[in-house]
Amino acid sequence: MPESEEQDILLSASQGNLEAFGVLYEKYVERIFNYVYYRTGNVHDAEDLTARVFYRALHHIHTYTDRGVPFSAWLYRIAHNLVANWHRDRSRHQEIPLSDAPTIHYKGEPPEVALMQTQERDALLRLIRQLPSERQHLLILKFLEHMSNAEIGKTMGRSEGAVKSLYHRTLLALRDELEDSDLEELTQQPDTSRLD
Amino acid sequence: MNTKMKQFADASMEKITSLEKRLSGVIRPIKPRKEFVHGVAHRIQAGTQSALVDRITNWHLIAILMAGLISLLVFLAVMGRVLLSLQGKKRIA
Repeated sequence: MPESEEQDILLSASQGNLEAFGVLYEKYVERIFNYVYYRTGNVHDAEDLTARVFYRALHHIHTYTDRGVPFSAWLYRIAHNLVANWHRDRSRHQEIPLSDAPTIHYKGEPPEVALMQTQERDALLRLIRQLPSERQHLLILKFLEHMSNAEIGKTMGRSEGAVKSLYHRTLLALRDELEDSDLEELTQQPDTSRLD
Repeated sequence: MNTKMKQFADASMEKITSLEKRLSGVIRPIKPRKEFVHGVAHRIQAGTQSALVDRITNWHLIAILMAGLISLLVFLAVMGRVLLSLQGKKRIA
């Protein structure tokens, strides 16, 4: 969708046009769902919070003003606040039930490798969720949305340089955490040649 | 010494690059359930009713405020009239 078209849709939605808001919903629902999912680690809560993000956005869209920041940043801010409240409401961090985790297919890979990857994925995700929320946000935007540092800066309200620095510090922190945990051993790539 | 430091930096950089690779393999887009997406979309469209209710509620609020303002004006007019009439009686006395 071209930017000018989105501006028109946004204007229409902010004037109470539900159809226009529906277009925005269709465009952003997956992104917000992914963001919330990676922040909560739970599909059910991700669905609940994603729905609440859009209801809240619908309720406040008339107050939205374009300040040169992407509309997604506005939605992410709502999502960020709701996720923060969600974490606050929970006395302890919720683990991802395996049955709840979405199935990721590793086509053409032996089951041993697939199992190893699932374990690595879960362990690494647990480490990511232990990071401060701002760093989690940054990683999600970087790896899920494939945004540049400049785009992330616009979304997070930081300068490009600050994002670059935060990203580097995040990777260093994760690397240290990995070295301290047993995950490093677990994630050593298995010798797949023996499995052929 | 410099070679050792360079080796250390290279090893560190390698680890970072490997970590980035692993992160891109772990943080992958997930498709939400279709039922969920359609369900929320449906509820958003059904928001017409609540928007109308909101508008009616706003209209009620405005009507109440207007009624309050008119009552206040009438009250002030009556009080003014009472004061004037009391002043008139004093002059006669």
